[in-house]
Amino acid sequence: MAAAQPQVPHPSTDRKRVKVYELRNNDWFDRGTGFCTAGWHPIEDSQREPRVIVESEDQPERVLLETRICKEDGFHKQQETLIVWTEPSNGVDMALSFQEAEGCTMIWRFIHSVQQQFNPGAAAGDDTLSDDLAMDMHNSVALPEAALGNLTIIEDSMRALSTTAASRDALTKFVLNEGYILKLIPLVEQAEDFESLNDLHRLCNIMKTVILLNDTSIIEHAVSDECVIGVVGALEYDPDFPSHKANHRQWLKDSGRYKEVVRIEDASILRKVHQTYRLLYLKDVVLARILDDNTFSVLNSLIFFNQVDIVQHIQANQAFLGELFDIFKTQGQDSRRKKEAVLFIQQCCSIAKNLQPPARQTLYNNFISHGLLQVINFGLRHNDVAVRVGATDILVSMIDHDPQMIRRTIYHQIQEKQPPLTDSLIDLLLIEVDLGVKSQISDALKVLLDQGPPSQPEVYAKANGEHAVRLQPRMPTADPQQEQFLDLFYDRSAVKLFQPLIQLKDRATMDFTVQQASMFTYLIEILCFFIRQHHHRSKFFVLNNDIVKRVGQLLVCREKYLKLVAIRFLRQLIGLQDEFYVKHISEKKVIGPILEVLVQTMPRDNLLSSACLEFFEHIKKENIKELMKYLVENHRDQLQKLAYVEIFRDIILKYDQTRGFSVSLDYFMEAEDDVRRKRPNVNPRTGGPMEYVTMDPAEEEYWNTSDDEDEQQAKVGSRTVSANGMSPGTKLVDYGSDEDGDDHVEAGALSAEDEGRLAPDKMDEEMSKSGEVAPPERLSEKRRREEDEEEDLGKLIQHKRRNSSSTSANSSNSPVFIRKGKNGAMRRDSGGGGGPKKIAITLGSSIKAGNGQTNSKSEDEA
Amino acid sequence: MSDLDKAIAQLRACRPIPEAQVRELCHKARELLIEEGNVVTVAAPVTICGDIHGQFHDLMELFRVGGDPPDTNYLFMGDFVDRGFYSLESFLLLLCLKVRYPDRMTLIRGNHESRQITTVYGFYDECVRKYGSANVWRYCCDVFDYLALGAIVLGASNTLSPPNEHISSEDYADADIEIEVCNADGDIMSRFQRRDNEQRSPNGAAAAAAGSKTGPPGSGASGSSGGSSGNPTGAVLCVHGGLSPLIDTVDKIRLLDRKQEVPHEGAMCDLLWSDPDEIDGWGLSPRGAGFLLGLILSRNDLSLIARAHQLVMEGFKEMFDASIVTVWSAPNYCYRCGNVAAVLELSEGGGGESILARSNGDVGRSDGGMRGVMMESEGAPKNGPARRYRVFQAAPQDSRGMPAKKPVADYFL
Repeated sequence: MAAAQPQVPHPSTDRKRVKVYELRNNDWFDRGTGFCTAGWHPIEDSQREPRVIVESEDQPERVLLETRICKEDGFHKQQETLIVWTEPSNGVDMALSFQEAEGCTMIWRFIHSVQQQFNPGAAAGDDTLSDDLAMDMHNSVALPEAALGNLTIIEDSMRALSTTAASRDALTKFVLNEGYILKLIPLVEQAEDFESLNDLHRLCNIMKTVILLNDTSIIEHAVSDECVIGVVGALEYDPDFPSHKANHRQWLKDSGRYKEVVRIEDASILRKVHQTYRLLYLKDVVLARILDDNTFSVLNSLIFFNQVDIVQHIQANQAFLGELFDIFKTQGQDSRRKKEAVLFIQQCCSIAKNLQPPARQTLYNNFISHGLLQVINFGLRHNDVAVRVGATDILVSMIDHDPQMIRRTIYHQIQEKQPPLTDSLIDLLLIEVDLGVKSQISDALKVLLDQGPPSQPEVYAKANGEHAVRLQPRMPTADPQQEQFLDLFYDRSAVKLFQPLIQLKDRATMDFTVQQASMFTYLIEILCFFIRQHHHRSKFFVLNNDIVKRVGQLLVCREKYLKLVAIRFLRQLIGLQDEFYVKHISEKKVIGPILEVLVQTMPRDNLLSSACLEFFEHIKKENIKELMKYLVENHRDQLQKLAYVEIFRDIILKYDQTRGFSVSLDYFMEAEDDVRRKRPNVNPRTGGPMEYVTMDPAEEEYWNTSDDEDEQQAKVGSRTVSANGMSPGTKLVDYGSDEDGDDHVEAGALSAEDEGRLAPDKMDEEMSKSGEVAPPERLSEKRRREEDEEEDLGKLIQHKRRNSSSTSANSSNSPVFIRKGKNGAMRRDSGGGGGPKKIAITLGSSIKAGNGQTNSKSEDEA
Repeated sequence: MSDLDKAIAQLRACRPIPEAQVRELCHKARELLIEEGNVVTVAAPVTICGDIHGQFHDLMELFRVGGDPPDTNYLFMGDFVDRGFYSLESFLLLLCLKVRYPDRMTLIRGNHESRQITTVYGFYDECVRKYGSANVWRYCCDVFDYLALGAIVLGASNTLSPPNEHISSEDYADADIEIEVCNADGDIMSRFQRRDNEQRSPNGAAAAAAGSKTGPPGSGASGSSGGSSGNPTGAVLCVHGGLSPLIDTVDKIRLLDRKQEVPHEGAMCDLLWSDPDEIDGWGLSPRGAGFLLGLILSRNDLSLIARAHQLVMEGFKEMFDASIVTVWSAPNYCYRCGNVAAVLELSEGGGGESILARSNGDVGRSDGGMRGVMMESEGAPKNGPARRYRVFQAAPQDSRGMPAKKPVADYFL
């Protein structure tokens, strides 16, 4: 191609002001404003390649965009000021929005000329042809007159022309200049009159080709008032479905589909409203199956920019907004119009979700200043469920956008001594019958009462994942207003919110209606969230209202899913690693009922038994001795019944073991707090009478034993990466669980192995925790990974993952290490434990390691 | 005709059922699924299916090729929704069938059975479009949380039964066939004989099966020594994505509290997201989400892992010495990928001893580790079960309407 370079029209060095957009999660993300240049940039070996570069306006040093124009780019010019393309390196859709049409044209001319060289058309096959000449040749494209008799020729030549970029361009020009679409449209009815299915199929193919030319002007023309019916009419006869006929015309002709709440005076905006609907229809229905990525993005950006214009127009139109919100101020009459107004606002908000945050902000600000909150209040209490759904939708989309905005309004309400919005939400939550509205309200409450990221590091990972989308990291500062708000909430509203739960106290039977049962589900979910977020307040609330006991009552209800909810609640409490809750749970004797649930469920393998097992596994794994002690002392019989499960056998053993040794209390305390538990910063011992944990002599001894073991382990395991046998990968293959059948008979040999496992598990928790810190990133990672299985993207993500695992696992950067860690731990166990059985196992593992079947990486261990 | 049968009939016609009925259905399904373990035990014969992705008409084609439920025992490995235009109808139909024939229909969870993913990839929009609110989506997501995470197929035979009535079973008595590939009409496209023990259906076979689909693999090793026919094979583990480094025994899966949104990390995430690695043994997945553990097979007395999750153009792909197979059941994925789809049939073991009423708990619990060691010292890995892949293409265009999304009825803007 180098030879062709001189023919390229010299690109303008003028800098064009432009905004760079990038499509992220179906949202055009603004990468910033800058100046655009396009030209040949030198690369190595005196080669040059065509590039488009945008330098930031604010920081001229910063390059917002640098992209190479290459064959696969598929640059398209849209409207007067837009250039869109898909970045071939990463598949991201990009757009340049120029301030002036002239600038766009200049850049486009360069891109276009380069592209023509990459894709020389049939006539432009000769490299030496100048750009202008090539264009002239293609301008001469002419199709026969649009008539039924010519359809075959038209179809064939169109198909031929649409194969190369240059001829496509010429064809596009021809179609536009000749008004060819309008000429084709009458043929549809003619062919229908003649009942000529062949012609209709050809017309459909021709129309498809025209639309898939991917030209913005053509598509805009196709959805214009004069064309749209004819265009979709032609597309009704898809030759792929010879026995079917779609009824697009009928659908689009139904003018009743457009609901006009307040008249939009601006004719061009009104046109855009209709156009957007047609574009959506075209995208989702007519072309859904045949859309290629380029046309899809052309349609999407047309829709997007239309919507931007429409929303801009509405939010800036005071008269319109005035009229819209006045609908709600008139008393009584015309409830249908009010309903439609709510739905109108709902649609506005859902469109606004696609806009840039600043634009969205102005829209909401304008809405609020016109009285949006009253509208929500009105909508939430409406007896038509559709209106309630609409109102909650509006509320939720505002909260999603900026919860602080709503909170400020609530502070204001509090200062004015008005009932705050949260109270209305609570009322509604308790009486609402529509489960969808209910769940949205409960989500809204959670977000409004969210204090920001939890200061307590140990987050219950599972439960949190559920809300990861919404709970993005917020300002960590403790807002005094928010504090006051929370105080007020816990003073008055919380009791109201959790009333059904509190009232369980006086309830003898646990028979619930479906509504009640689902109510508890929501309430407990909210409460779980509060417990994670509002530490001392929620703690006090839980204590004061005896919530643990109440939730415990649910364990005997009939509904299994409700039992699950109760178990999960308690599981979260112990997952917080807060001694207060651990103590509280054992005092309230709610673990017994969980054990009872398990006894009743076992040996069946179902969700309930898994949840219970996970609960007890956690107790064992985290060595929550308070609870283990409680369990063995109060429920030994039941545990013994379940002793065929390793967990319970271990718990009993652990308890029993602790009776045989003795060492000083201090050492134990130190070991516990500093080395093992890594307790959260929040000191749970400020809480009151139960602050001091009494030490059982047996426990002291137990801990002491393990310390001895630790030292031994440290010696034996010194060659492994991490000290103390805490290689994070130790859990990978948990030999303990496999071998316990034989080994655990010898009680003395046990603790070493269990200890070895204990700590790494904790590390695992931390690993998952560190992932927890940035849920949004994780999410996008997942989403992107899904993106059509793109290999290079996959690699990118793999890098990310590697990074994250190496940082969190601090000592192991590769699977090799993990593997080593595993073997190391296992061997250490045998070194420390000593018994003959252990040696046998070591041998077994050596055999394993030496065996070709096993990963060869373990050989250096063996 | 019961309400449920009516709903099934209506959904088979690709017409959604009313919201109230969806709610009812989801409640029933919840009652049912709550009783299932995280790893469901399924007895052979069973037909294992991969991703469906809302391609309703292709699901109908699958039923045509694989046999209608409840006559055929089905196991679907997740990803019922998103991408296609009929996620709702597809998922609700499968759920109806599950509720109607709980023992003949097993559904496990895929990574798309998640709130976060469905809001991005179409199921959410589809529900809102079809019902005007997100309620149905919420009901379905609720059910997603209850879906099992995996399944274990027990009692699969290492011999095949004839694929159609035109072939007598005697033809199958002597031939020691490990893999057979059939087309949609049940005609045999290719067969691979079982190899001897040192080299059980190596990659060559899989590559040939996946690639040319013609003729047996190169070596043509004798089939006679490959274990006597009719012997029970090891169990087959079915998960949507793959394995997890956090899970070395199937039992560990049991210790998950699965009723939750698919987490971003951890064992449950890996089961639904991970891919087998290109590198043998432990390694990072090319897509980043998980690890593969070949060793897990022997530790858990497994002979095969069946999974879905990745598009394979040939509908199925055996990897790692035929220890893992990817099954993909969405032909012409996204209506444009041009791939064929497949289902995997495992037939019932001949001898009575193969159908052991083992609970999931027995698998790999008490003897898995020991057996792993013993087996290796003997150097005799389990034989894979005989596998029949039925390959099929997208439903013929005429059998369905034009696939399209339902348009939004009214608009204000």
